[in-house]
Amino acid sequence: MANRGKPGDLDGRRRDLEAALAARRRERPSGGEGAERGGKSDFANALKLSSEFIAGVVVGVALGWFIDRMAGTSPWGLIIFLLLGFGAGILNVLRSAGLIAEFGSKAPKKGDDDL
Amino acid sequence: MATDPIHQFQISKWIPIEIGGLDFSFTNASAFMVATVAGAGAFLFLTTSSRGLVPGRLQSISEMAYEFIASMLRDAAGSHGMRFFPFVFSLFMFVLVANLLGMFPYFFTVTSHVIVTFALAILVIGTVLVYGFWKHGLGFLKLFVPDGVPGVLMPLVVAIEVVSFLSRPVSLSVRLFANMLAGHITLKVFAGFVTSLGAFGVAGAAGAVLPLAMTVALTGLEFLVAFLQAYVFAVLTCMYLNDALHPGH
Amino acid sequence: MEVEAAKAIGAGIACLGMGGAGIGLGHIFGNYLAGALRNPSAADGQFGRLIFGFAVTEALGIFSLLVALLLLFT
Repeated sequence: MANRGKPGDLDGRRRDLEAALAARRRERPSGGEGAERGGKSDFANALKLSSEFIAGVVVGVALGWFIDRMAGTSPWGLIIFLLLGFGAGILNVLRSAGLIAEFGSKAPKKGDDDL
Repeated sequence: MATDPIHQFQISKWIPIEIGGLDFSFTNASAFMVATVAGAGAFLFLTTSSRGLVPGRLQSISEMAYEFIASMLRDAAGSHGMRFFPFVFSLFMFVLVANLLGMFPYFFTVTSHVIVTFALAILVIGTVLVYGFWKHGLGFLKLFVPDGVPGVLMPLVVAIEVVSFLSRPVSLSVRLFANMLAGHITLKVFAGFVTSLGAFGVAGAAGAVLPLAMTVALTGLEFLVAFLQAYVFAVLTCMYLNDALHPGH
Repeated sequence: MEVEAAKAIGAGIACLGMGGAGIGLGHIFGNYLAGALRNPSAADGQFGRLIFGFAVTEALGIFSLLVALLLLFT
C-alpha cells in the first residue's frame, strides 16, 4: 500500500510479470483444473440463483416501504416497488444464469420483465 | 444450556469499552475477527517466507489460493481488474478463514452475523461505486441504461435496473450469512439429538448412531459450503468490479 | 375480534396463494426437465420460454405476497 503513489511503475512491473507468466503458462497443460471448477460452479450457481431472486423482491419491498414512510404515499410505493423488485429479481436470475450479458449491454429478453 | 442451538451465536463482551455513549466493546466477535486476520496473514506469510523454487505442501496451498483468485479476477474483469487483486484476495481469505475457523467446536463463526457480511458487501459495492464514478464520471450511469430499449419502456427498465443494482449487496450478504447460520444451527440440532437420545439408556444410545452419522456427514457438507461461499463471494466481487471497470458493454 | 389480529390472520391466509405458485413452478420446471431429458438438443432454445412461464407464474405468487404485506404494513 505504501507505494500506491506511483501506479505507472507498479503497472509496468505487473505487465512484465504477466508477460513472463503467460509465456511460462503456455508450456504447462491445464487440464485438471478446469474440469474440477465445472463441478464446483454448478453447486455454487444453485446457491447463487435462489438468493438472487429473493434479494430483488426484498429490496423492492424495503424501498417501497421506506418511500411510503417518507412521502406518505401509502400503499402505492409498496405496490409499485414490489413489482419493480420482482422484475429486478427476474433480471438478476437471468443475468446470473448467463442469458443476459452484464449491466448496460443489449438485452434480448427484456420484454419479460414488464408483465 | 449447551443444547440450545442459538447459543453459539451469542455475542459476549470481553473487554467493555464505551466512548461517548457508543458501545465499542471488544467482544468475542471482534476477537475472532482478529484471529481470522492474524491466522490468514500468518499462514500466508510463514508459508511463503521460504520461497522455495519447488514449493512444499503449505507453500503450494498459498500459491494455489493466489493462482485461483488471480485467474478468477483475470477472467471476470480483464487485466485491468488486477489492480483490485489485493482487495479481492483479502476478502476471499477473510471469508474463507472465518468460515473455516467457525467449524472448530466452541468457536464463534464471524460470518454467521449479518452485520459482518453486510459490512463486507457494502465495502464491495462502495468500492464499485466510488471507483466507477472516479474513473468514468457520470458515464458510469450508463450502467443502468441498456441499449436497444424503446423510449416508452425506458423509465421502467431503468427503475428495474436500479433496483437490481441495489439488491446486489443484499443478496451478497444474506447468502453468506444465511448459509453459515443455517448450517451451524442444523449441525447443532443434530448433535443435540445425539445427547438427548443417549439419555434413554442402551436403546437410545443405539439409536443415537443415526444422528451421529448425520452430524459427521453434515460436517463434511459444511466444510464444502464454507469454501463454496467464500468462492461465490469472490466471484461476485469480481463481476461487480468488472461493472465498475467497464460500464456500458 | 381485534383489527390487528384479523389483519395478521388475513395476511397468513393470503400467503397460502404462494403455495399455489410454488406448485405451479414445480410443474413448470419439472415438465421442462422431463422434456429436456427427452430431447436435450431442443432444451436450450426453450430456456427463454421457461423463464417467461416462471415469471408469469411467480407474478401471481408475488401478488399474494403483496396482499399480505399490504395487510401487515399499511
